[in-house]
Amino acid sequence: MEMKILWKAYVRRHKGSLAGVFALLFIVSVSLVTTLTIWESSGRYVREELERIGFGDLTAWASQVYDITQLTDEIGSLDTVERTGVQKLIYSEYEIKGQKSDSEGQLVVYEPEDYAYRLFLDDLSGYQAGEAVIRSGELYAPISLRSMCGAEIGDEISFPIARNGVAQTFTIKGWFEDPIMGSSMIGMKSFLICGGDHAEILRKLSAAGIDGLARDGFMIHIFKDRDSEVSIAQWNAMLNQETRLSQFAEFTHSRNAIEGFMLTLQNVFTGFLSAFVAALLLASMVVLRYGISGAIERDTPDMGALKTVGFTTGRLQKAQAVPYIFVILAAVALGVLAVPFAAGGAALATLTTTGLLFPVRFPLWLCLLSLLPLMLLLLGSIILKVRKIGEIAPVEIIRGTIGKASEKKRRRFPIRRTGLPFFLAVRQLAAGKRRYLSVGASAALLVFFASFMGYVDSWLGADGKGLMDAFNPADLHIAAQPMGEATSEDVERTIMEYTDITDSYMLAMPGVSVDGVDHTANVITEPERFHLLSGRTCLEADEIVLTESVAADLGVGSGDTVTVGGGAGSMPYRISGIYQCANDMGANVGLSREGYAKIGKETAGMWCVHYFLADASKQQEVMRALEDLYGGDVYLHENSWPGLFGILSAMKWLMLFMYAVVTVFVFVVTALSAGRLLAVEQKDLGIYRAIGFSPDRLRLSFSLRFGIVSGAGSVLGSLLAVLFTDPLVAALLRRFGISDFSGDPSALDIMLPIAAVTGLFMLFAWLDAGKIKKMRLTVLVARR
Amino acid sequence: MREALLAGKDICKEFQGNTGGMVLDHVTLDIYEGDLTVIMGPSGAGKSTLLYALSGMDGITGGEIWYKGRKISGLREKQMSDLRAHEFGFVFQQTHLVSNLTLYENIAVAGYLGAGWKAKEVEQRADELLFQMGVEKAKDRLPAEVSGGEAQRAAVARAVINRPGILFADEPTGALNRQNTQEALNLLTGLNETGQSILMVTHDVRAAIRGNRILYLEDGKILDALDFPAYRDEVAKDRELRLNEWLCALSW
Repeated sequence: MEMKILWKAYVRRHKGSLAGVFALLFIVSVSLVTTLTIWESSGRYVREELERIGFGDLTAWASQVYDITQLTDEIGSLDTVERTGVQKLIYSEYEIKGQKSDSEGQLVVYEPEDYAYRLFLDDLSGYQAGEAVIRSGELYAPISLRSMCGAEIGDEISFPIARNGVAQTFTIKGWFEDPIMGSSMIGMKSFLICGGDHAEILRKLSAAGIDGLARDGFMIHIFKDRDSEVSIAQWNAMLNQETRLSQFAEFTHSRNAIEGFMLTLQNVFTGFLSAFVAALLLASMVVLRYGISGAIERDTPDMGALKTVGFTTGRLQKAQAVPYIFVILAAVALGVLAVPFAAGGAALATLTTTGLLFPVRFPLWLCLLSLLPLMLLLLGSIILKVRKIGEIAPVEIIRGTIGKASEKKRRRFPIRRTGLPFFLAVRQLAAGKRRYLSVGASAALLVFFASFMGYVDSWLGADGKGLMDAFNPADLHIAAQPMGEATSEDVERTIMEYTDITDSYMLAMPGVSVDGVDHTANVITEPERFHLLSGRTCLEADEIVLTESVAADLGVGSGDTVTVGGGAGSMPYRISGIYQCANDMGANVGLSREGYAKIGKETAGMWCVHYFLADASKQQEVMRALEDLYGGDVYLHENSWPGLFGILSAMKWLMLFMYAVVTVFVFVVTALSAGRLLAVEQKDLGIYRAIGFSPDRLRLSFSLRFGIVSGAGSVLGSLLAVLFTDPLVAALLRRFGISDFSGDPSALDIMLPIAAVTGLFMLFAWLDAGKIKKMRLTVLVARR
Repeated sequence: MREALLAGKDICKEFQGNTGGMVLDHVTLDIYEGDLTVIMGPSGAGKSTLLYALSGMDGITGGEIWYKGRKISGLREKQMSDLRAHEFGFVFQQTHLVSNLTLYENIAVAGYLGAGWKAKEVEQRADELLFQMGVEKAKDRLPAEVSGGEAQRAAVARAVINRPGILFADEPTGALNRQNTQEALNLLTGLNETGQSILMVTHDVRAAIRGNRILYLEDGKILDALDFPAYRDEVAKDRELRLNEWLCALSW
């Protein structure tokens, strides 16, 4: 009973501190569990959907296969192969709303009995029940097309089938969920059409002969025998060696690789959010420890009195600790309860970017594993803090000597008339620096993370150039690949009508095998243009450069030798260096033109010419002119990628979310600290007012204290960000094939988080200090 | 007829809340320039409440307060702050020095708020006052590092650095030992001799005899007033006797 009375009194007295701790831990637990839930739910959903749809352990995208049954029988005859599945498709460029696709589309025949894609309801609130009927001239598009091209139901999409304007036009009937390449991070897109239209396109292609632009093809899903113990990479090499698959496969991906492509956005942002949650958690712990210390300090006289009437130290410790433990448990529990809404909202909000409406499934074990250490950390922190209650002797309270340890002689910051509020602020700070610890530490952590994200945002750039540079093996302004009657000379003439061409080189991307595993080769006429990370480029014909991820997968490095196979044979190449190209999650190798000539057949149509313009601002104008003039005869692209929009857009939202949480956090930390300081300094503030300080001047001085501490903390956080952002982000992005990250922040990138966080602390401190105005000077009449 | 420096007209102060009650009940009084006016009365009579009401430190629920012919009740906070900085000085029972400022800084900071003086002049006057109060050796110490008497002398120095029109003293000797009490009272008497107007609340008869006008407050009402000539040590015993008789007559 007596403990209940103490707890009630405690909650009444420290409701501000308890509410603040509750708010912070609620934010932390919601953010942490939502992040984990999205990561786990989306990952599991992609895996389940790939399984349900019938995506193979390896799937090859093949074209020009004259007898698919013979090929699949050949593959199926291998001991390591359990079964195969085939989806008919047509590869073709496409145009929607006047925008030409950057990557090819795949018109996949809708066969719901074998490949049961989920079709969205028009309002995207769920899925259609049963199978849909796709009529001729209609198609279902992946939902990410909305964010990538602004497509809507009813829009027309045109697929050029052959030269001379032979095309097939479809109307978007609805959206479907494509777990294979539905993410906006993937340039290539699938469209579901009816069998009749597929046959019609094949007829047009057949009639067009060599003028065909589209290609007939298949997705060949190959399932590994469950008893086979070979790795996927070894199995891929076996399939290439023992069957004719490599003759027809344009590219092959494992289920893991597709999962990686589909979850790129979720994984990248889960990484960033996890770092953010860690920063918030650390800041919360500092605030919690400070809150308990403050409460103990404030309650010390009362606890001394309670000891004199027989309360044991243990019971007093319980009286202090239990309300905080209860608040932490309540905050975490409520945070967890809010997760379905937060994660569900996030899933729905990101549907057009991720391409998936993944059901939110609470990852119980994962959450327990992450929340349990968090709770233990917080509980340990509380227990350590309340231990000092044992040091309070009643006699010290009675004598009034508690907490009055003699102050060490030290140099004091002087007080000057000019800038008096500032000098007083510094003096108050120096006198009670322990009380400002939570403000400084929170500012440091928040600025560290805000800077961290700012550097990533700055690296991406407004147009995503940073990311594109990581994806492209070499720089470019415009790339043109003549595929019909138009020649490179024609293209160059057109470009030069707008601006001079300062330089150019050629790049081709044929498929090759490296030690038996399929990779994309970046074959370049000027190898010195590769974005090299270490070693030297492949200048000699028997040299190759690898990306960091390929080198790691194959367990090789500079100086080692790998066997590279192409259409014309295979031979050993010495690895001369490591370069960067994050395409296909980094599964790329780089060769010189001479190097490729030894194993592959060079064809005129394989080369894409990359141009540098004298006036880069004319890039869009030139692109439009080339598209208008050459249409489907020239494949054009620039230093961009459809998925880039999704990343940039998500980054903007993440930055907004982060600053919103930072604002709430600063508000709570300031409210906690300011409330406590105002209570402690009530008498001093009364004195200042009695001698003629106006409340506004005192508010300014109070706000300046927070400005000074948070400013110092912010500078420290910024310094940490400058030192650690590059290695931390590089470690995160390496998983996605981007191995070279250099934030290279501008002065604005460095100053903005410092100014924002310091400004917020000052603003909220100023608002909190409004209480000074209402403070009654009769506080000075008090006789104790 | 002398003109009042500070005047309270029909002052009422009512506390809200469960207990309620009129703490100041239509109090009217004049405080004259150059006087050391003392307010006495039993505990709970409303002495300190009256002092803080007259000095604008606390609000009133009725009546008016005038200072140098200007109505100050109802002034805005900024105007009140200016008045406190330039015209009023305060000495409290608990000294109320800012804990993280040295004695010298406590005095100088108040001086910086005063009008028209250069920083150098303020600092020079702060030094003079510290010397005058006999605490110059403790000038660089924090309030917690000096004795109660030294702290109270520094508090008096702070109260007078801006040469206030009136000095309010709320039980200035209440927390001091016998020796420090005498020193503090000597200081206040000395200041009054130089023309400093003082309004002091006390329940200590030995402090009250320093005044030349004593007001007796009970239940929020001024019951009586007693006038004395200027204080001299030689007449202390006689004054104490007379004051006690007067207080006994008022059922003190």
